[in-house]
Amino acid sequence: MTEISRRPHSEKPDPHWVEWATGIVSAVLVVAMLGWVGYEALTDKDGPPEFRITITGIAPVSGGHRVEFDIANRATRTAATVNVRGEILDGSRTAEDAEVVIDYVPAQSKSSGALIFREDPGRHEILIRAVGYSDP
Amino acid sequence: MSTSLQMNDGNRVSDPRAFVTGLGRGAAGALLFGVPMLMTMELWELGFYIERYRLLILLTANIPLLVSLADRVGFERTGTLAEACRDATIAYALGIVMSTAILVLFGDIKPGMPISEIVGKVAIQAVPASIGALLGRSQLGESNDDQDEHKDGNRDEEAVTDHLSTRYIQELFLMGVGALFLNLNVAPTEEIILISFKMTPWHALATILVSIAIMHAFVYAVAFQGSHEVPEGTPWWHAFFRFTLPGYIVAMAISLYVLWTFGRLDDVGPTQVLMSAIVLSFPGAIGAAAARLIL
Repeated sequence: MTEISRRPHSEKPDPHWVEWATGIVSAVLVVAMLGWVGYEALTDKDGPPEFRITITGIAPVSGGHRVEFDIANRATRTAATVNVRGEILDGSRTAEDAEVVIDYVPAQSKSSGALIFREDPGRHEILIRAVGYSDP
Repeated sequence: MSTSLQMNDGNRVSDPRAFVTGLGRGAAGALLFGVPMLMTMELWELGFYIERYRLLILLTANIPLLVSLADRVGFERTGTLAEACRDATIAYALGIVMSTAILVLFGDIKPGMPISEIVGKVAIQAVPASIGALLGRSQLGESNDDQDEHKDGNRDEEAVTDHLSTRYIQELFLMGVGALFLNLNVAPTEEIILISFKMTPWHALATILVSIAIMHAFVYAVAFQGSHEVPEGTPWWHAFFRFTLPGYIVAMAISLYVLWTFGRLDDVGPTQVLMSAIVLSFPGAIGAAAARLIL
């Protein structure tokens, strides 16, 4: 501990110009960040989460067929515990359904997941939609 | 600590007991600083799902960090680069050994687990534990340092002035280490992103300002031991611009890096990225300020 009190600190009366340059760049960055967040704060429409689900791949796995999907949230509010249900439609009848819960779909961001069906969905229409969420 | 580390400098005969004491302090440091992370579920899970190239970058980046820390923090006052490398290696090894031991003790590593899972779990824990080992060896070795000063006070004094002079870059580096350390503690937890989801942009604005204020107050206003004194007649904003604001930017950069390492930024929109970085920079700023006082 003793060396700390004796230690010369760098608060010299005549600092090097690099210190000022770093300080100015940092100040600009902090102000830019405040500006960005401030702009978000002022223009925040605070709309409820809006999902868009796209299927990214179908592949056979042991015990069924895996359907991978991306779920995007275009709104400025995050959704938690998003329930996603997928159905294989055989005409107007649901041949099979599967469900998964996504922990978070952050605002203006994307999450991904997969559903596993027993039946081969290839020949039928697949419908995947979010059926509910909670606010974080 | 210095006794064990100065073994090779010629003034001292190599004493195995002092070396063992040094190892003990390092192990204690690794435990003290590593236990919060060793008991965090998310870090165990990260051990097997973290992308391997990110883990590799973290493990590699830890090496120069440990060497610089060993060289600059000051417990190795007469140190050469080779000695710093040796200390860093020992600290890394201690971090690995202690992490493995504790994870085995907690039943988190069991025989029959895939080797990549075991290695991943240990590797990710070894980073904070090795920093802890290095800090433990310097911080827990104080009483020994005092004894040394009676013996070789002159050399000590001399070494302090030319080896420990807190140059600007070094000061920023120490802030980075402090921020990294606290960040690694909290970043893997789900709470960080959860907090950022709960916050409105107004909360985020307030968090930025509060973080910067705390940073400045920690170092300059609240007179802890080791507090930095601004020379007479210098306006307060000099130190604010030259140290506090760059320190906050360093904390912010470290936060972004840690979040990226833990995969918290994948497919996340820019505003959300900024929000979680702001949340993580709050502990980061405290860590950075504390590092300036302690190290």
